[in-house]
Amino acid sequence: MNEARLHELSEKLIGSEIKAELLNLFHMNPGILDTVESIARRIGRMPKDVETEIATLVELEVLRKERFGDLDIVSLNMEKDKEIQRKLAELIEGGAKE
Amino acid sequence: MRALTGISELDSMLHGGFMRGDVTLIVGSAGTGKTTLALQYLVNGATKFNENGLYVTFEQMPAQIYRDAASFGWDIRKLEAEGKIRVVCTSPPVLVQFIESRSPIDAIIDEIKAKRIVIDSISHLETFIPPSVLRSELYRVVNHFKMKGLTSVFIAESHEVFGNSLVVTGTGLSFLVDCIILLRIVEIKSSLRKALTVLKIRGSDHDKQLREFEITPQGIKIAAAFAQYEGVLTGAPRKSFTEETVSAWTKAFVGKT
Repeated sequence: MNEARLHELSEKLIGSEIKAELLNLFHMNPGILDTVESIARRIGRMPKDVETEIATLVELEVLRKERFGDLDIVSLNMEKDKEIQRKLAELIEGGAKE
Repeated sequence: MRALTGISELDSMLHGGFMRGDVTLIVGSAGTGKTTLALQYLVNGATKFNENGLYVTFEQMPAQIYRDAASFGWDIRKLEAEGKIRVVCTSPPVLVQFIESRSPIDAIIDEIKAKRIVIDSISHLETFIPPSVLRSELYRVVNHFKMKGLTSVFIAESHEVFGNSLVVTGTGLSFLVDCIILLRIVEIKSSLRKALTVLKIRGSDHDKQLREFEITPQGIKIAAAFAQYEGVLTGAPRKSFTEETVSAWTKAFVGKT
């Protein structure tokens, strides 16, 4: 049971190389407040490749996307990120006990 | 009235620190210690003077700043957790945009009650903002920080490591800022040393000497002036013909005739 939920959550979070790169970027640099174009540049990717992955992480509420003036600014949702990390840790711990 | 940098020799050179609410430009080529000086200003503000600060970086990732700061014993992550310092990594258009509408950057300034801000670096604004509007945009950024009561430090990269000419920035920013600190690498006796000088402070006197400085494990340490050298700003100084050398010359040759 735990293993299935863990698999589902991790699949959503790091189901692709780019999503894993994005999560790593934001965990290492939680102070990033930037546009999709600049974030793509920071991980050495093209904006079109990063856009959908950011959208998925925004859907999961790990990232925030807010409009300011004529710019969409992406940042890490620290509370939600901590909550997901806690959930993952619980699932991993639970899986180890089973 | 003044915002102390916490680097005692620099505060003496500035006759008591930066004027509160002023914008200071730190100019220097790569490797001169601009980021270290700016970080030290923020860390000292947060740890010694109860003044929180925001570090805005355009190119360098925060992870790199945390690592570099740790080498001086400054735990930026801990200071962030305590709400004393925040490192924000963004791009120039976001910085300019944030003034037009309430953005996360303004929210952070209010949240941590920042009194100090560092922009690293202003040279990156030049690559993102069209030259025709750059000066007016910079003017807006400078005034926005002043209105918020921040004592700001802008970092500017100088492309010239050595040479006779001295261009502070190509954008006329030197006229917009209140204080300019120049860092320069100089060659003396076939070794590279670092020089610091305060070029201007609006509305205040300051030390006009060229001082040698070192980047030590504790941060920037400013030493004595390059008293025996001339042309230090060219990067290749020559020894001055001092009274001491004149007297030695006279004793050695003139006295014998």
